[in-house]
Amino acid sequence: MIRSAGFRDVLASLGSLARGGLALGAVAGAAFLPSLVAAQAFPSQPVSLVVPWPAGGGSDIAMRLLADGATRRMGVPVVVVNKPGAGGTVGLKEVAQSKPDGYTLAMLATGALFAQYNNPAANALSDFDLIAFFGDDPSALTANAKTGFKTVADFVAAAKASPGRLRNGNDQPGGTSHVTVSLLEKALGVRVVKVPYAGYAPTVQALLAGELDTVTVGVPDVLQHQQAGTVQMLGVAATQRHFLAPDVPTFREQGIDFVAGTWRVIIGPRGIPADRLAILESRLLETMNDPEFKAKARTAGFIVSPLGRADTARRLAAEDAAMYPVFLEAGLVKTRQK
Amino acid sequence: MDFLFGNILHGLAVAMTPANLGLCLVGCVLGTLIGVLPGLGPTATVAMLMPVTFWLDPTGALIMMAGVFYGSQYGGSTTAILVNLPGESSSVVTCLDGYAMARQGRAGAALAIAALASLFAGTVTTFLIAWAGPAIASVALKFQSPDYVAVMVLGLVAAVVLAHGSVLKAVAMILLGIFLGLIGTDVSTSEQRFTFGLDTLFDGIGFVPLSMGLFGLAEIMINLETGAEGNRTRVAINRLWPTRRDFREATPAAIRGTLLGSFLGILPGGGSTIPSFAAYSLEKKLARDPSRFGRGAVEGVAAPEAANNAGAQACFIPMLSLGIPPNAVMALMVGAMMVHGIQPGPQIIQKQPDLFWGLVASMWIGNFMLVVLNLPLIWIWVKLLEVPYRFLFPAVIVLCGIGVYSLDNRLSDVVLMAFFGVFGYGLRKLECEPAPLLLGFILGPLLEENFRRSLMLTGGDASVFLTRPISLSFLVVSALLLVAVLLPAFRARREQWTEES
Repeated sequence: MIRSAGFRDVLASLGSLARGGLALGAVAGAAFLPSLVAAQAFPSQPVSLVVPWPAGGGSDIAMRLLADGATRRMGVPVVVVNKPGAGGTVGLKEVAQSKPDGYTLAMLATGALFAQYNNPAANALSDFDLIAFFGDDPSALTANAKTGFKTVADFVAAAKASPGRLRNGNDQPGGTSHVTVSLLEKALGVRVVKVPYAGYAPTVQALLAGELDTVTVGVPDVLQHQQAGTVQMLGVAATQRHFLAPDVPTFREQGIDFVAGTWRVIIGPRGIPADRLAILESRLLETMNDPEFKAKARTAGFIVSPLGRADTARRLAAEDAAMYPVFLEAGLVKTRQK
Repeated sequence: MDFLFGNILHGLAVAMTPANLGLCLVGCVLGTLIGVLPGLGPTATVAMLMPVTFWLDPTGALIMMAGVFYGSQYGGSTTAILVNLPGESSSVVTCLDGYAMARQGRAGAALAIAALASLFAGTVTTFLIAWAGPAIASVALKFQSPDYVAVMVLGLVAAVVLAHGSVLKAVAMILLGIFLGLIGTDVSTSEQRFTFGLDTLFDGIGFVPLSMGLFGLAEIMINLETGAEGNRTRVAINRLWPTRRDFREATPAAIRGTLLGSFLGILPGGGSTIPSFAAYSLEKKLARDPSRFGRGAVEGVAAPEAANNAGAQACFIPMLSLGIPPNAVMALMVGAMMVHGIQPGPQIIQKQPDLFWGLVASMWIGNFMLVVLNLPLIWIWVKLLEVPYRFLFPAVIVLCGIGVYSLDNRLSDVVLMAFFGVFGYGLRKLECEPAPLLLGFILGPLLEENFRRSLMLTGGDASVFLTRPISLSFLVVSALLLVAVLLPAFRARREQWTEES
């Protein structure tokens, strides 16, 4: 690959020029440009927040909201840069290789945990400095209304009556909703057919089309259909009920200790100076704890549960301990085997 | 009907407020611009507009984003016609006859036909959404994996028709396209195929670098080789407006393109690219003299342009009424609604009548704005052709580079585009056509994914393809088409066309 840094930078700036022009045109009239007064202290120049996923997904929206709030807290623009590819690996690799000066941050999600074992080209979590935890997007077990399932117990009974017959829609092996259903099989002691789809939208569509019995996707993905009565959420895989679906009990309430879903963490390349790391951590936590931000994120369907660096590290270690055996069992661990 | 007009009037009242009219105009202008710039697509633009929508009223925000999306369908055909460079993936087939028309000095007519066909399709589809949106969305829910398999089979068989040279070469191109489509991570197993460990290939080859290389860059190389400088300026541009005969030929094609586009647009993975290919194939199949295609047939511009605009608008149907986004732009729009706490889905019409009807009505207004915007521009675009080629082509290459880079902010996509440019030049020398390759590239992976999923769902029982009525009927049509292609008499006629061309 031709990867001369100079050329890449030129292209990058050309790209952002083109985008800047467009964006400016769009905001003319409704301008809300933050003051660009450059203080000498950190941060004194724009911070890029790399989202290793395409624009428009849940992660992208969450990070755009965060960038919008953080811009005001930090006094410098925080700019979302989408660098999708290889399940987040491409964008994260670029961040891992960037200068650890605190001006290049990224969002890392559940999938990165998997990528480090499955893709030899992916970075390990140890290549990054963890800065803050954004929040969880819990998965839910949702059934087609035609199955008649109302509770997790109904699902378990049906799955035990005909093992390996119920069809669950999920993403590709190693993806969040695939891991969720794999962990669920363990927790419930059942076996289902795990049918892979390329993304959550086609998964939900297939559930509605009657091709599937259940899906294991996020709460917002199925909410409208739950309200329309075409699907039934059986249980939410979180410690508390989801505020969007307060009527749906958690798995724990139904006697099953099961928590799963997507979580999002803000990270930077390893080696950011401690003082800058502390500033970033406190500014991001301030942003996420701001009631106005919380309200905005909540309207958009996100649960924001900020954690600092130490707690984030503990949380990720626990996730790793739970998920690694699932990857191993599914034959997906190809590198960094423990 | 009263219900329909009452709602449309309500929608017009919402869409005609000065703020919403302004946002619609901003969206349409932006859409036209990014449509004209090759590679810079609606997805990137709508993504950049996202933060702005946090601060706008949701209806206005959606009106603007929608304007960008369908506006880009208008703009995308401009470069396809003028310099054989598809501004959007949905304009790829417009290159075939649009560019041929331009070479005959009829660029103005081609641009006008493209704009008017788009307006027609936009108007029809707006009413379709208003009148039967939710009902149509439920049709999409009848389609299960086996049915998609049958649709893809039909598409691949029909791809042979796209070619106007040798059938053997067309089949070879389709297979090559399918192979290129297999590169990347397999959805069923998460295994990497043919990636050689390169991150770049992990998600497969992008459609935009592939199509811009095969069409745009290859065309530039051919032009430079044949000294296009001379013959380009020699062609007199006789008139800007289409002739009466053009209209007569284009009208039925635009109607068929609209119908096909609105149907294909509502299926998942829908949008505007597949409809434009399908519409072109259909026109060629129906034409009394198919040899005209690829040499400046008006139908070859009208049908795909109508289809891509109809498809672009029809994919709002599953997004609004099911909450299921069929493509990335729709996903962004769902995102914009969620930021405001609006969940698109079955109840949106009752819960958010202003938003739903306002958006629908704005599409109609937007389509008029686009035509008013685009018709006078034709004169300027055509003037562009008089720019000496030695100045034009470097500019085009730079724009392509920026456009491809801006998709995912990846330099490797620019390298891929350059590679496929050279590859496309080789294909042109071998008289192999890139259009069937692109169709194989799109349909092949979808066919595989749905085929494997169908078997997974039935526990390996392949009879499902014959027992489901939808899949059976598509398979029967495919078989008939295949027989038609292979029939000796048919082959003789084909040879006859080939000789003519």
